[in-house]
Amino acid sequence: MRDFLAVPAPSPRTPLGDLPLLAIDLETTGLDAESDRILSIGFVPVDGREIRLGGAREIVVRAGSGEGVGDSATVHGLTDDVVAAGVPLTDALAATLRALEGRVLLAHHAAIETGFLARACERAFGARPLFVAVDTVLLGRELLAPGDEDVPPGRLRLDALRSQFGLPRYRAHNALSDALACGELYLALTQELGATRLQQVSVR
Amino acid sequence: MVHMDVEVAEVVDFLAQHAPFSELTGAERRALAKELSIRYFRRGTVVIESGAPNHSLYIIRSGAVDIAEGGQDLVDRDEPGDSFGSSSLLSRSPSRYRATAVEDTLAYVLPGHRFQQLMRESDPVRDFYTPRQRGRLSQLARELQKSDDSILRLDAGDMIVRAPIAAPPSTSIREAAEIMTRERVSALLINEGDQLVGILTDRDLRSRVVLQGVPNTEPVSSVMTRNPVRVSPEMKAFELLMVMTSKKIHHLPVVRDGRALGLVSAGDLMRLESSNPVVLIGEIGRRNDPEGIAEVARQAPRLAAQLLDQGANADDVSHVLTAIADAITGRLIQLVEIDRGPAPHPWCWVTLGSQARHELGFASDQDHAMVIADEATDLSWYEEAAERVVAGLELAGLKRCPGGAMATNWHLRSREWRRQFAQWVNEPESKAVLHAQIFFDARPVHGDFTLFDELVGGVVSGAQHAQRFLGHLAAMAVRREPPLTFFRGFVLENSGAHKDQFDIKAGGLHAIIESVRVLALAAGVTEPATLTRIEALRAAGRLNDDTAAELSDAFEFISFLRLRHQAELMARNEPANNFIAPDQLSTAERRHLRYAFTAVRQIQQTIQYQWQTHLMN
Repeated sequence: MRDFLAVPAPSPRTPLGDLPLLAIDLETTGLDAESDRILSIGFVPVDGREIRLGGAREIVVRAGSGEGVGDSATVHGLTDDVVAAGVPLTDALAATLRALEGRVLLAHHAAIETGFLARACERAFGARPLFVAVDTVLLGRELLAPGDEDVPPGRLRLDALRSQFGLPRYRAHNALSDALACGELYLALTQELGATRLQQVSVR
Repeated sequence: MVHMDVEVAEVVDFLAQHAPFSELTGAERRALAKELSIRYFRRGTVVIESGAPNHSLYIIRSGAVDIAEGGQDLVDRDEPGDSFGSSSLLSRSPSRYRATAVEDTLAYVLPGHRFQQLMRESDPVRDFYTPRQRGRLSQLARELQKSDDSILRLDAGDMIVRAPIAAPPSTSIREAAEIMTRERVSALLINEGDQLVGILTDRDLRSRVVLQGVPNTEPVSSVMTRNPVRVSPEMKAFELLMVMTSKKIHHLPVVRDGRALGLVSAGDLMRLESSNPVVLIGEIGRRNDPEGIAEVARQAPRLAAQLLDQGANADDVSHVLTAIADAITGRLIQLVEIDRGPAPHPWCWVTLGSQARHELGFASDQDHAMVIADEATDLSWYEEAAERVVAGLELAGLKRCPGGAMATNWHLRSREWRRQFAQWVNEPESKAVLHAQIFFDARPVHGDFTLFDELVGGVVSGAQHAQRFLGHLAAMAVRREPPLTFFRGFVLENSGAHKDQFDIKAGGLHAIIESVRVLALAAGVTEPATLTRIEALRAAGRLNDDTAAELSDAFEFISFLRLRHQAELMARNEPANNFIAPDQLSTAERRHLRYAFTAVRQIQQTIQYQWQTHLMN
């Protein structure tokens, strides 16, 4: 945690061609960072215009005693057995923060990832980090509706946006697949939008 | 350790589906996946510039990339699973090609040094990316024609080459012997009504008639073998041989419902392995009327399909079909000569087009002409011969040429031919040249070959330097580009009965035939066969070794696909055509066909430069 905070986030004027990001996806038991838990974390680094598969990780979080995955298993396919084989949340968070050092967090619906990670860090380390994030939902909305008109939410789904660029269909609700899918979509969206600098694409 | 050794399943699974990575072990693929990065190229983006250095291998995950030589001429269109960049990595020199994303493209990128390492360490990767060498396509074609021990699959019905020769039991021994001599058979079937009741063989005539002193006026029923051993048409060929060996007999009637369909002899089985066509051709020479010839001729497509099935290549099968067509032609002419007496003056029957090139397929037209000595004044013999041969060929299954290139229209004296060729060559006009092309693929079949040789020598040397004429031929040779984009969405006939299919003859074979023809004529090569012409052009230094090998291989492979397609139609009793649907081809075949089309496109580009055909049209 301290190491993470010690490394400055990239400057808002960083050219996208040089921008280091980490595409992240979390599988959780629900959508509420207060009451739901992180089940697994998938991430893959993006250096400028390239996704580095060598840095891809998928970390399954071990459940605390008495915690089950419950009905969410039907969505993400992580059963109690798989989750029991994972690592403690503290270790998972530490590994994720290490991968995020000096990088911008990249996610689809980034508020979920930043919310869950911040809350988990608060519990584990006693501090709530602020993440610089890029959200492919917001980039997608900019592409589909450059003004402020409404976009049907279905068209902003990860696979719906990916299909706009002919990107392949991946199995959904696997943390690493979704992180990779988000990373690829980011490459496509920023090129299609002609964005050149971090300040044009980031949210805080 | 806080994380598992993760594999990016989406990437590893994709690699597992595409050569050469599909040939790697699972561990090798997982290791490879970790070395990859992913890049995205918006449509229109140049991925590798022609003349610029390249340091990566690109594997297309989605989208499409056009590869153009020198940035202009489309060489290939790569689609998901294809890779590019290997040639500049291997030559360690700037890229000869420009690679442009023509759709939004996602690509896996492998660093050049890792690619070089794989080339050193992995056989499948090395085999796949080693620059095309002599015979690569023919090797692929051979792999596709997986040979099976076909003799084990042939059955008795397949072995019947002619209708049974039979006589009733009351026939005298003498009459029976006469029939056997006339029909050149070594066994006679004896039928009561339509039921087989006996068989009489050459050996019976020796041992039961001559040696026993039986008068030859006796009925055959007194000396024939009653209720002979018989087989069903479904019995396998190797079983027939076993029956013959165990019963010590040499002839087996093939019978269904008591009715003889034909006869299989030990000789038939012996000849099976090497010389089926020889049997058929010999049989054609024994027939005495066009109907009889046609009866034998009808076996030819089935025989050819069998040979193809047994692993013969397209060139062999086309040669067999051509040899049979030559035999039919020759025999029909002989019958005219027997009937009408020999021609009054020297003459020569000349076959044209695919038969001249030894490239007949299953459904070919007849194309031919006659060269007649200049001293001939009355042409009635030749005209009648032409009529009879055309009718006989048609009866034998060779359709009349829709363009009218037949001896009934084209029976000219040598000097008239010279004038005709001079007109085609010296005053070329594109429509006339289009129709005349077929006369530049000619081969003598019957008669006085020197008449033909004298004519063709002059024609070829005249054509060799007739640049305008060659220019017209060149323009025709390049007018149908092979559909390199065929594989992405498949470029197909977009209307009519063959919607969603591809014409492999017009778009593939003929592009090669016509390209090679113009190069051959320009080089003074007189042979008509495409493969022979390619070899002659190579020997004369007009084609380099690699180009010649690629082109020969492309021709063989496309011919093979066409023949196989037609054999399949025939097996379903459907009329032959040249339209291939994409789903008929395996992934490997589509890839191989694309190599072939690339070779075709390259020779067309050579011709385009040589004759500047774009200026002519």
